[in-house]
Parts: sequence; structure tokens; C-alpha cells
Amino acid sequence: MDINLIEFQFFLKLSEKLTAFTSFQLQGTGVAEAYYSTVKNVVGVTIFQELIDTFNKIQTDSDDETSLDKEIRHRILSNSKLGPVARNIIKMWFVGTWYQLPNYWLEKYGVSNSDSTFVVSENAYKEGLLWPTIGAHPMGAKAPGYGTWEDPPKIPTV
Amino acid sequence: MTLREINDVEDLYEYLYAAIQLEHATIPPYITSMYTMKPNSNLEAYNVIRVIVVEEMLHLTLAANVLNAIGGAPNLIKEGFVPEFPTYLPNGEEDFEVNIESFSPKTIDNFLMIERPAREYQDGHVPKQFTSFKNTSRKRILPTYISAEGEEKHFYSIGEFYAFIGEGLTKLSLKLGEEEFFKGDPERQITPEYYYSGGGEIIPVTNLESALEAIRLISEQGEGFEGAIYDNEGELSHYYRFEQIKLGRYYLAGDTAGNPKGKELTIDWDAVYNIKTNPKMEDYPEESELYEANVKFNTYYKNFLAKINDAFNGNPQNLIPAIGEMFVLKNMAYELIHNPIPGKEGVYGAPTFEVDKVPEISKV
Repeated sequence: MDINLIEFQFFLKLSEKLTAFTSFQLQGTGVAEAYYSTVKNVVGVTIFQELIDTFNKIQTDSDDETSLDKEIRHRILSNSKLGPVARNIIKMWFVGTWYQLPNYWLEKYGVSNSDSTFVVSENAYKEGLLWPTIGAHPMGAKAPGYGTWEDPPKIPTV
Repeated sequence: MTLREINDVEDLYEYLYAAIQLEHATIPPYITSMYTMKPNSNLEAYNVIRVIVVEEMLHLTLAANVLNAIGGAPNLIKEGFVPEFPTYLPNGEEDFEVNIESFSPKTIDNFLMIERPAREYQDGHVPKQFTSFKNTSRKRILPTYISAEGEEKHFYSIGEFYAFIGEGLTKLSLKLGEEEFFKGDPERQITPEYYYSGGGEIIPVTNLESALEAIRLISEQGEGFEGAIYDNEGELSHYYRFEQIKLGRYYLAGDTAGNPKGKELTIDWDAVYNIKTNPKMEDYPEESELYEANVKFNTYYKNFLAKINDAFNGNPQNLIPAIGEMFVLKNMAYELIHNPIPGKEGVYGAPTFEVDKVPEISKV
């Protein structure tokens, strides 16, 4: 899928708010584009666009971080259509897996047959934000070097 | 630095400093090219380069062992130790540059220049040591050498440079007596217990025999044994490893130079992040996260070199924890390379390796 650059930037901005990681860190994983394509592909262009537009409008309407935060909870996370999608984006960033959307959502809004639970890409697992969040590394990938298990975990500031 | 004929121990210290600097200077270009490959692409090429990089690290450590054995002190924290890219290796003349750039056919050509065997070898002749200095305009990747007559000359290949060091070691060992010459504290040697899976076996250096063995290993891994594409241990030398990427095919035992007959090596030259070539701190907007992350990388790298240096200067047990830091650096590099430079769509960042421009974060 081609990347619409402006839309991709909005996706990154929204992801920043949803994950508390910066856009630099998110892009640093190398899987941001794959996640963008995954959401767009599974929920369909219309709902994806609605999510981006809603977020965009919230940004325009909000005067400060507190109201932005509140509005995201109110108008995205509590919204029956956009909420499950947003929560899926959070889960995808943290563990690299796209979880099948809830049944009620699928019955009402589902458009794609590609909605199932799947690991987004080979890299998604090891790039999960879960690992830096807990100061660990993905087992079996991103080896931190012989003997480093002796050191205490280094939890980076987010 | 200008090198002279090896007449005393101090001369050899300079040569071995240059050797350590030379081995290190190949690493930023090699690893950057690997890290610019997009995730899960070009795995074969990645592994070909990786083997070479790990051997450069072994060579660096071997050179440090030789220097320690003759009473010298490796110095990886001296200003200018890490070259500013583009550079000559380690500080040669004006017509050959080594770059930090994205993985591309041009980059591989650049790496082939670094590892190029002496022309005599290519013609099928084995040069008699030191007869192959030339007043030449051929790509100079090695230090200038001033002969006893004051004539400026250039090393023809990395192998020759090491052969010259080997000759110097032999000469001084004879002149001063082996025991007196190899007077370095054996406790300063990096021995196999501190060095794991790193491109071959580490050789502790305590006498002329082990010193020459270390030098031999470095040269042969680099450019093969007596003109053959494989070294004495049956391993393909660096030049031919890189050539596999250029030619898109693996070498098999028994193949001759330029005619690999192994299986195909698949390369996707487009699955690459296009980074700014030879990036500098000022290429990144000062307020950007990219800028900050690069400063952080440079600081971390500087500190990492200080830790390696500490391990090479009497604390070999500190090498293992220092090596763990390489993995942190790798992840930091990936993060930089995956981010576009703000305002320059399609051009990505990369670590700049400007360690002399950042303060050290902590004392070892």
C-alpha cells in the first residue's frame, strides 16, 4: 500500500498520544509504515479516515495537552466505532500483534475479511514498545550481549 | 601522522596506533551500510558484511595485544582517533575517500577499495616484503611513509602495512633481545576468556612468534594468503567477501578471483533507507529529536571507546560488559536511520560518529 505522507504523519501524531512514545521513537522501530498500512487495510479507508479526521479536529479544538487528552478519551476511546480501533493501535504498537476486533464491532462496522489476530511482520515482535517500557529485550531477538543479564534492567525515560 | 622506517620501539608504537585506528575506521562505514538495509531485506548481504566487521574487531584487539606486548599503551580516546568522514584511512592522501553512506553498489566499490589486495598479488606474483613501495598515485588508504632517504612513499595495501610491522617486530626483537623487547605485562593481554565468538581466535601476544602469528592472522583475513582468495585457515578474505555482493554470487572453495561459482546471492538495492552521506551534527535541525538522538549516540560511542580502552589498558575483564554496549549502540543507530531528517523528506538520519564534538558522559 502506498503511504499517503500527510495521513501517515497524522497516524504518527495519533500514535504518539496513544502510546506516550515520541514520533521519533515510533519511526525508529522501522515498523510504523507497516502499522499504518495494517490499520488502513483492516478497518477500511472510510473508518481510518474518520479516525484521522476526528483526531485532527480534536487537535484543532484543544487549547492544551489536558483538554487534548480528555477529548481523545471522550471522542475516540469512548466512541463505539473508533474506540476499539484506537485500542487495537495501542496493542499493536506494544506487542506487534493486530488483534481481531470485537464481534459487535465486526457486525456493525466490519468491512474486511483480513481482520483476524496476526503478528504484523517479522520485526513487529522485536520492535514492540513493551520491551523498552519494561527495560528488557525481546527474548530470542535483539540480544544484549553475553553476561549482560548480570546488570539490572535499564528503564529508559519515556 | 607520518610513519618512518621502524628503528626503535617508539616507531612501532606509532605503527600499531595507526593499525588500531585503521581497523576501527572501517567499522562505522561497514556497520552503517548494514543498518541502512530495510528490516528483513538483504539478509545475505547483511551477513556477508557482518562477518567482516566482526573480524575487524578481532584485528583491532590483536593489534592492541601486540602493542601491549612490547610495552605500549593502546589509545582509543585520543582526539582524532575516530576519523571525520569522508576520510582517508587512517590519514592518507587526497585521492581516496571512505564514506559513511547507504548500502549501494557504489558503497560496495568503496569497501572493495579498502580491502583491495596488492596489485602484485593480483598479477599472480607474491611480492617480496617491502619491495612494493611505490611512488604512486594509486588510491592511498594507508599512512604516508617517509623513507630513510626522506622520500615520501605509500603503502600499497593493508597487508603490506602489516608485513612492514611484522618486519619491524622481527628486527627489533633481534636487536634488543626477545625478552627485553616483549617486556609488556602479560596481564594486559586480551585472552580468550575475555573475547568470545569474534571472528576467530584471539591470540595473546608474549613473544615474537605470537606477535607474528597475530599479524599474519590480520593480513590473511584481510587479503588472503599469498594471493589466493582464501586464507591459510580456508576462510575467504575480505576483498572477495565483498566481491560476492558486487557479483551477486557466493565463492566456493577452489574458485579463482573474479569467478565465483557458488549459489546466487540475492540483493534488493532498493530496500534501503537513503541516508545523508557522511552526515554531520549540523545536518540535523538543532531542536529535533534526531539531533538529540545523534548527540546521544556520539556520547555513548565515545564512552564505549573509553571502556574498550580501559579493557586494553590493564583491565581485560572489563571487555565483556563493554561489548554489551555495542548492542545498545546498534539499536540507537537503527532508530536514527529509520527517521527522516526533518524538512528533507526521503533522506534519513544516521549516526555521525563525531565523538570529538561531545563530552564524555562518565569516567570508566
